[in-house]
Amino acid sequence: MRRGKGGRGAFWMYLLVTLVLLGLEIAGSRVPHQVRAYANDIVSPVLTLLEQPIRAVQGGLERIAGVSDIYLENETLRDENERLRQWREAAMQLSRENERLRAMLKVPGREAPPEATARVIGVGGGAFERSVIVGAGGVDGIRRGSPVVDEAGVIGRVIQVGRWTSRVLLLTDLNSRVPVRLERTGDLAIAEGQNESFLRLRFLPVGVQVRVGDRLITSGHGGAFPPDLPVARVVEVVDDFILLEPLGLLGKMDYVRVMAYDPVPDGDLDLEPAAGGESSQ
Amino acid sequence: MNARRPVMASFGAAGFLPVIVSFFMAAFMMLPVGTGAANIAMPHLVMISVFYWLSSRPILMPYGACALLGFMLDLWLDVPMGLNMLQLLLMRLFVINQLKHYKGRSRLVHWVIFGALAFGLYLLSWLLVSLVYGKILPWEPLALQWAITAFSYAPVGFLLGRIRRAAM
Repeated sequence: MRRGKGGRGAFWMYLLVTLVLLGLEIAGSRVPHQVRAYANDIVSPVLTLLEQPIRAVQGGLERIAGVSDIYLENETLRDENERLRQWREAAMQLSRENERLRAMLKVPGREAPPEATARVIGVGGGAFERSVIVGAGGVDGIRRGSPVVDEAGVIGRVIQVGRWTSRVLLLTDLNSRVPVRLERTGDLAIAEGQNESFLRLRFLPVGVQVRVGDRLITSGHGGAFPPDLPVARVVEVVDDFILLEPLGLLGKMDYVRVMAYDPVPDGDLDLEPAAGGESSQ
Repeated sequence: MNARRPVMASFGAAGFLPVIVSFFMAAFMMLPVGTGAANIAMPHLVMISVFYWLSSRPILMPYGACALLGFMLDLWLDVPMGLNMLQLLLMRLFVINQLKHYKGRSRLVHWVIFGALAFGLYLLSWLLVSLVYGKILPWEPLALQWAITAFSYAPVGFLLGRIRRAAM
């Protein structure tokens, strides 16, 4: 009997705590966000430890799968390497020419160098949010709002910065909106996350003909992302409903680059610094 | 009448097994495994673990442990704080009140009850998160996660059963 009463008392006490926390969230308090940034730091050693055997098994399986066609792959890579050398020469020549013309016209450079390369050590959000935790934080120079890319395109942007870890909101999250430009026509629009694997293209000017396969790159508008980063490819067009597939390899992220780019603060990206670590929704 | 002892400690180290296993389940949920990096196909392992232990050893999964596990999950998964806490507290309340009706029944019955309970908890969380974000969230990703979680109960429950038999 005593135990039953105690249990009921405990239930009501914890329920009250829960309701207070949810109330803080609804009220938009900054406290939960600041606590979260540090919580990621605490769990990162556990994740790194648990990840080792999984990565070892994955690596072993990939190696076994790769042994059978290693000769063919080698041949393909030789050809590709030859072509890439030629492209590199052409790219370097164009880059030099570009720099010279920019200097002549006094156009400021807009390339954003990487601030840090980080490994994806955790995922979060479940069905409610699309985010990942990367193993680089405030001590590595990561700032809130920094764009994050992989070798194929934009992944997302940093929303919480702990001391040694950061949380990256993926492009596919419901709260993610990236100003983009249709590469073929130059028209502006917004790539919107839907908490699913695909993005939706919104606010495209009326009359623009979009084709399956068209690429979208960042427009640089709003200042959250530097311009000309590859974002997504059109996979389906049904009247006004345009579905995009992210170019970044969101399904098999390993290492990502956090760019040294100062985003322009806006209402969605409150950049008031917190002591030691920072966070933002 | 015997004096009341701290319940979890009275089982020795094994008394903390349900909480420790659930903690590792929470950490495992965050690992970027398979398509997990796209945050799609990871079942709610903590929900499964807590239901399993509450149904087999309710005394070793007190309200405090449920609240703590839920709080950690809220922080790590970056969902509104209090959400998983509430889910796990309500799960314990339900199991404690209804266990007498299904204790000793087949695993299939446990599976069905878990599926129904998880459905209710996901529905509640969808409403709460929509309230926190101030907009109605799409229900499809949530339905997918519920289906994966409900489906995963059988294999994960089997694994937890093996752990329980080996340790207790």
